[in-house]
Amino acid sequence: MVAEPTQSRIGASDRPAAGLVIDNVALVRGMRVIQPALSHVIAPGGMTLLTGPNGSGKSTLLRAIAGRLRPMAGTITCAAPILYIGHADGLATALSGRRNLVDWAGLNGLPVDVDVIEAALAALAAGPFADLPVRMLSRGQRRRLALARLALSPAQALWLLDEPAAGLDRAAEAGLDRLIAAHLDRGGMVMAATHTPLATGRTHAELALEAQP
Amino acid sequence: MTGRKMNTGNIKSSLGAQIRRDIALGWRGRGQALVMLGFFLIIITLFPLAAGPDEAQLRPIAIPVIWIAAMLASLAGFTRIFADDVACGWVDQVALSPLPLALYALARAAVHWALTALPMLVVTPLMGLMLYLEPVGMPPLLLALALGTMAMTLLGLIGAALTEGARGGTGLLAVLVLPLAVPVLIFGVLASAPADGGIVTPHLMLLGAVLLVLLALAPLVAAMALAEAEAETGA
Repeated sequence: MVAEPTQSRIGASDRPAAGLVIDNVALVRGMRVIQPALSHVIAPGGMTLLTGPNGSGKSTLLRAIAGRLRPMAGTITCAAPILYIGHADGLATALSGRRNLVDWAGLNGLPVDVDVIEAALAALAAGPFADLPVRMLSRGQRRRLALARLALSPAQALWLLDEPAAGLDRAAEAGLDRLIAAHLDRGGMVMAATHTPLATGRTHAELALEAQP
Repeated sequence: MTGRKMNTGNIKSSLGAQIRRDIALGWRGRGQALVMLGFFLIIITLFPLAAGPDEAQLRPIAIPVIWIAAMLASLAGFTRIFADDVACGWVDQVALSPLPLALYALARAAVHWALTALPMLVVTPLMGLMLYLEPVGMPPLLLALALGTMAMTLLGLIGAALTEGARGGTGLLAVLVLPLAVPVLIFGVLASAPADGGIVTPHLMLLGAVLLVLLALAPLVAAMALAEAEAETGA
């Protein structure tokens, strides 16, 4: 039932220059195969919404693309830089939201000028609580701080978003939609696992994962 | 095989950002370093209480007691080296950044050593006096202890990365790390009490050699263990 590992890699000619190519990927969680053979392509400027019931492997697929776990078979290739925002938001709870964002930008060699950071926080209306220690913030507020990284992203990056809108209020959701739209317009790529509509009005592909028996 | 990292920066500036973050976090979590220091002081203080304040009895065991106290106290802090960063997903972000995981692990170890082992070294002369150690014996002890705690921290780095996510991490870590620390203990104690008064002894050189081997290997082993570490709420 498990797909054979693909030996032949997709030739350079038939894949988009900087896109994401998922070729016959098999995913396991624990000892169980949750997706036997997944294939999908995202070209620059493209967005794919990842849907499917709980346990169908949405988060696992995103982590595999991010290189945080190895697929059991198949290949994933992506020449673009990857920006991954998973369930765990990567925020140190003892530090302020602003400090967390500055540290993350510094880690990735991105600009850390005051104006740039301020604008990123403003994109998700995270400015008012950016100077409080993260441990004092609600889940939705933390989510907004994590998503503020998107405003610092390089243009051609692939965004891997795991339930990005979970816990967001309407205003923050609109801010996220604006960031996604702007990123797609400048040739970026987005793959988001979601149960709710995201960036409505944008054309997108859907990759529906089915739960394996 | 998957995507490129966000390669707009260089490794040096990434490492700088990581170290600044570690220091800020370490400073806000300094209570934990104080607890370790207290643990170190209490272990040593228990010996005069148990053996009696007799100089003839305490002086021969002074150096071994200080070494064992330093090892046990540092053991108490190792589980924290990676736990928070893995749980909150920071390791995921490091893995996608220009900073290699091995350098990230080394930065964690360096800051951890500075925040936990340095205070122990500072109070060691006082503890030595309590155990009737001659003041002239302090420099070799401090030098050997500095190298020894560095080596211990690197062993702890391996243990912390390997036991990350394992249930009962602390106990497992102790069982894993302490046997490996035996050479450090043996060379360290011998180097702390040089027979002929010279500080640089063959024992100290062997201790330094152990440290250098660990310096080369520990960050790489830790990076391999962290390469696929799961965040608590991930997947």
